[in-house]
Amino acid sequence: MSGRRTVYEIYWEILVYCRTPRSFTAIINRCDLNSKSGQEYLEFLIVRKYLVTTRDGEKTRYVSTPAAAEFIALFSSLYQKLFDSQPDFRL
Amino acid sequence: MNEQTLDRFRTEIRHFYLVSLLNLVFAALAIAFGVSSIVTAILGQAAYPAIPGLRVLTGAIALICSGLGISWVVSTVRVFGGVEAIRDDLEAAGERITDDGITCLIVRMLAHYRDNRRIINTMILVCTLGGCGFFMLGLLNSLKALPFSPDGFGITTDNLLAIPAMLLTLGIALASLLSSYYFSRFAKAWDRRLHEIEESECALKKTLGLDES
Repeated sequence: MSGRRTVYEIYWEILVYCRTPRSFTAIINRCDLNSKSGQEYLEFLIVRKYLVTTRDGEKTRYVSTPAAAEFIALFSSLYQKLFDSQPDFRL
Repeated sequence: MNEQTLDRFRTEIRHFYLVSLLNLVFAALAIAFGVSSIVTAILGQAAYPAIPGLRVLTGAIALICSGLGISWVVSTVRVFGGVEAIRDDLEAAGERITDDGITCLIVRMLAHYRDNRRIINTMILVCTLGGCGFFMLGLLNSLKALPFSPDGFGITTDNLLAIPAMLLTLGIALASLLSSYYFSRFAKAWDRRLHEIEESECALKKTLGLDES
């Protein structure tokens, strides 16, 4: 996903994508991030215990923890709530 | 997954896709008609003996309308491209779309709107100006249809041929003004959503443990 997103949208995207173990390159490609900002986002999520690293041979993989589920669920409900009212735009 | 959310989101995207597509068609028509009016005015194929200077005025307005038409197309293509990609993914997912899938498309639409907010506001202005310009061009063309001649009144074939051109110009003017109206409504709806998202960020902050208060 590309375009102007908020940090929360980027966190959500990383966490959803990392439900299955992912490499750093796969994450930054998928989330359209550069290496530096990608590293910062991942470090933040690791510190908050929403993401953990696993070793797959010589490769490091990132995977979401059960604690991330709370954030993912809240995020989804807030964004879907935007459409609770009748569509504001229709022909 | 909330079916209502999916239905409403899908309806909005489909309708906005249609508005963007119609915009593209009418913007192309606007350029074509503007260029043809310029050529007609320059070559002087249309004579306006009853109103001197009308040819120059029509040419000038046609030139402005063509410029606005080009600007209209360029702006529409960018907005249309993003909406088309989202609509295609939404249609491809069908009813089996997951909760994350629908949230992902909503986030994409919000990101697309943030990226193109300024363009959409410009389009509202360009469509309004284009609509007014084409309305004037339609009025000026309609003068051709009036049975004026140096010898008095008389309906000629040329007068009758001017009627479809006049109707086409007025049609483009109407489409342009309608586009402006729909883009305003679209911008209003998504601005409200951006505002709601900003307000709900407190809850996300709290969950992430970023809320220090």
